[in-house]
Amino acid sequence: MKKKTRTKFVRYLGKQMKEDYTALQIYSRDMADLPNLTKLLFNNTPDGIILPRNVEDIQRVYNLANETKTPVIPRSGGTTGFGGSIPYNKGLVIDCKGLDGELLIEPIDQTVTTSPSIIFSDLQKKLKLQGFSLCSYPSSFYSATVGGWISHGGHGIGSIKYGNVVDQIAEMQVVLPNGEIKSFSEKEDISLFFGSNGTLGIITEIKLKIKFDIPLKQFGCIFDSPVELMKGLKELQDVDPFSVWFLNPAQVSAFNDSFGYNLPRSYVAIVSKEISYEEEELTFSNNFNNSIRKAGGQILDKRYIMDIWDFRFKTFALLKEFPDFLVSEVILPIETSAKYLRKLAGLFEGSLRAEGELISNTHYSLLLYLPIEEPINDFKKSLLILKINKHVLKSKKVGGFPYSTGLWFAGYYPQIYGKEMYKRYKDFKKKVDPKNISNPGKVCSPKMRFFPLFKLKSIIRIASEFS
Amino acid sequence: MSSPNEWQVDILEAAQQCVYCGYCAVCPTFRELKWETYHPRGILDQIKMYYLETTKEELKSDISKSLFDSIFACTMCKACENICIADIPLLKIWEQVRQESFKKGRWNPALLSLYNKVKDTQNIFGLPKEERVSWAGLANMVMTKRTQRKAKVAYFVGCQASYSGKMEGVAASVIKILRKARVDFTILGNEEWCCGSPVFLAGGYSVGKTFAKHNLDQFKKLGVKRVVTACAGCYRAFKIVYPRILGDKWDLEVLHISEFVAELLEQKKLKYTKTIKEKITFKDPCELVRHCGLIEPPREIIEKIPGVRYEDLPSNREEALCCGGGGLLKLNDADLTRQVNSRLIEEIEYSEAEIVVNGCPTCLDTIQQGVKKKGLDVEVIDIAELVRRAIGG
Repeated sequence: MKKKTRTKFVRYLGKQMKEDYTALQIYSRDMADLPNLTKLLFNNTPDGIILPRNVEDIQRVYNLANETKTPVIPRSGGTTGFGGSIPYNKGLVIDCKGLDGELLIEPIDQTVTTSPSIIFSDLQKKLKLQGFSLCSYPSSFYSATVGGWISHGGHGIGSIKYGNVVDQIAEMQVVLPNGEIKSFSEKEDISLFFGSNGTLGIITEIKLKIKFDIPLKQFGCIFDSPVELMKGLKELQDVDPFSVWFLNPAQVSAFNDSFGYNLPRSYVAIVSKEISYEEEELTFSNNFNNSIRKAGGQILDKRYIMDIWDFRFKTFALLKEFPDFLVSEVILPIETSAKYLRKLAGLFEGSLRAEGELISNTHYSLLLYLPIEEPINDFKKSLLILKINKHVLKSKKVGGFPYSTGLWFAGYYPQIYGKEMYKRYKDFKKKVDPKNISNPGKVCSPKMRFFPLFKLKSIIRIASEFS
Repeated sequence: MSSPNEWQVDILEAAQQCVYCGYCAVCPTFRELKWETYHPRGILDQIKMYYLETTKEELKSDISKSLFDSIFACTMCKACENICIADIPLLKIWEQVRQESFKKGRWNPALLSLYNKVKDTQNIFGLPKEERVSWAGLANMVMTKRTQRKAKVAYFVGCQASYSGKMEGVAASVIKILRKARVDFTILGNEEWCCGSPVFLAGGYSVGKTFAKHNLDQFKKLGVKRVVTACAGCYRAFKIVYPRILGDKWDLEVLHISEFVAELLEQKKLKYTKTIKEKITFKDPCELVRHCGLIEPPREIIEKIPGVRYEDLPSNREEALCCGGGGLLKLNDADLTRQVNSRLIEEIEYSEAEIVVNGCPTCLDTIQQGVKKKGLDVEVIDIAELVRRAIGG
């Protein structure tokens, strides 16, 4: 960063800006630690970190960034492994956790107005005190922020019943990259920000729809094959579940090892249902059993269900014994993905673990973990990242797509959200961020750092093919 | 005797177990300061950078500056370790980094001053040893016969209850309870030395060790088998730190006053005679609940009070909020303590409690200040003081 540019930011931000080596290193990663070799593709160490205190700070930062053509990278919980909140090529990371705001629960409208930096578990706790609950939330419930989930393109627990995060936003306020503060309440507008990775500005206030806090009851089942599992996912939609979460055979084995279980190496699903009274539970239980039988599955012994469900937000703990691991996530159609799922189970000598969550009547998300058993060098780790990416991209053949764009899948926006949406996104981006200062390198594929003739997307795709 | 090396962890190896889930965002000081350098996972990152052999020496100064700054912004409340899905022994790691800071001579002046005071006078206030039992005079109690007598039960008063005017009711209440239940007990008097908790928390083990040995010798000399304390800091030191540094020699049973009262009530040696009508809540001290797993005894003894209206705070038991005063933060950064404390005060206000009961002098003082600042009409008392009222003492 040029001296003059730096001075401008420091003069305004003072202690709200950090530039020391240690802080820069910490902010150069998210959940996934990038191998040094990837420096050839990205320069993920920022020039500085900014902790804005309020909307005015963000406006000012955007104005200065436009003036000096400085990339601004919004960051919140930093809980995904997609790289959406780490720089593509230096710039200033804006840590949105600095944004505090009043929490306002409107019991009649059933909405809550909150700062985007609130962590889901904190928000849920506050809602529960008033008898309300979030409609859906991510599996990184204890660390992800509401704003971060919108920018990442969040589907999660409860999405099958209440939809993705866009369906739950009643209104939101955004500071656009041109410094304008704007409120959005139309779904069409809000959906522009879904999965935008902060490229369209920084969300500064959100009004979320909430629901009454109805107790959840869990039920479990086992399917021998992906075909049966897919049948089960279809059948289970008729019982109006709150969540359908499943584990692939490798993940079931990890549970077996960790809990001393002897579950068959197959697909285990835990279904959650909002149940208010005893008769409802009985009716649901009958319907559930019928659905599972129809799909060819078996009912899971009750003693396992609560143990597994209680581990719902802790499955990363199953990776603690490994020196390293890789993560990715893909969205797949129920109808056509059974074969793909079977293939995944055989990859990396059967060690690729997966957890799925039904997110709509047609699709489910699949979180992939690859534990790395022995420490490996940077080159090998880079190859493995590319290899996982290759398999995520291969899901296209069965109608699947990456969960989000982030750093690795920049350029895949049309595949994820559709071409029409992409056109709308590009038009809006051009209007509000003509200099492309808000999180450049994300969503739309950037040009290569050292070979600007090529786009990063093509390079990653080719490298993945040969990995 | 076990050496610190035996119970210390391989700090780098432990830090490398972090799966970066970020759940430790629950950290009360990170929530106020917001920078990821204060996030426990960010501190682990700094530890990796600091301890990795491949890190260039010239960078280590920058890293250590940030690391030691972050580590002393910690209240040692253990919320991070409590939620850690990878079961990383975070508290041990934070303690070891504080020791490293001590070895490198990187303590701030306030810490050094406390350390020197404790070292020279064996109490955290730097007051004369001879005044350790002056609380008794203020409470119109004569402790001469109880001091340094042979007994199986010893009441360890602690520095705060001994010297602080704000805590003068605590020691007197414990004495009333013990007398009412006709417990044969002793106190160490002027020979009671600080439990060492503040120096352990600061990372200065050598002095703390001397204190531990001294206190053990005193207990042994008087034939003590059970040590009762109303201070969560002393309780943690006796329960967790003393066994580490004294090994098998530390074979005494340690009881928080709430545990001891629960036992006395059970044995019918103590009986509640007074009704308490005010709505009561209990703030679980971090050192009792997360460090030592003491959860139910305080609730049991409160709920037995005739006519009691008791309600937990919204964040309770293992998920209790930190008061902000622990880990010597009050000394290092009083403003940050106030910020952290304000979250707890919000919960107290929400609870509509008229009495906030506690079992830790640090919490008590911090909450009292927070309640006063917010202008709440809430009484903040120690659990021993509440019991004293219920027994009509």
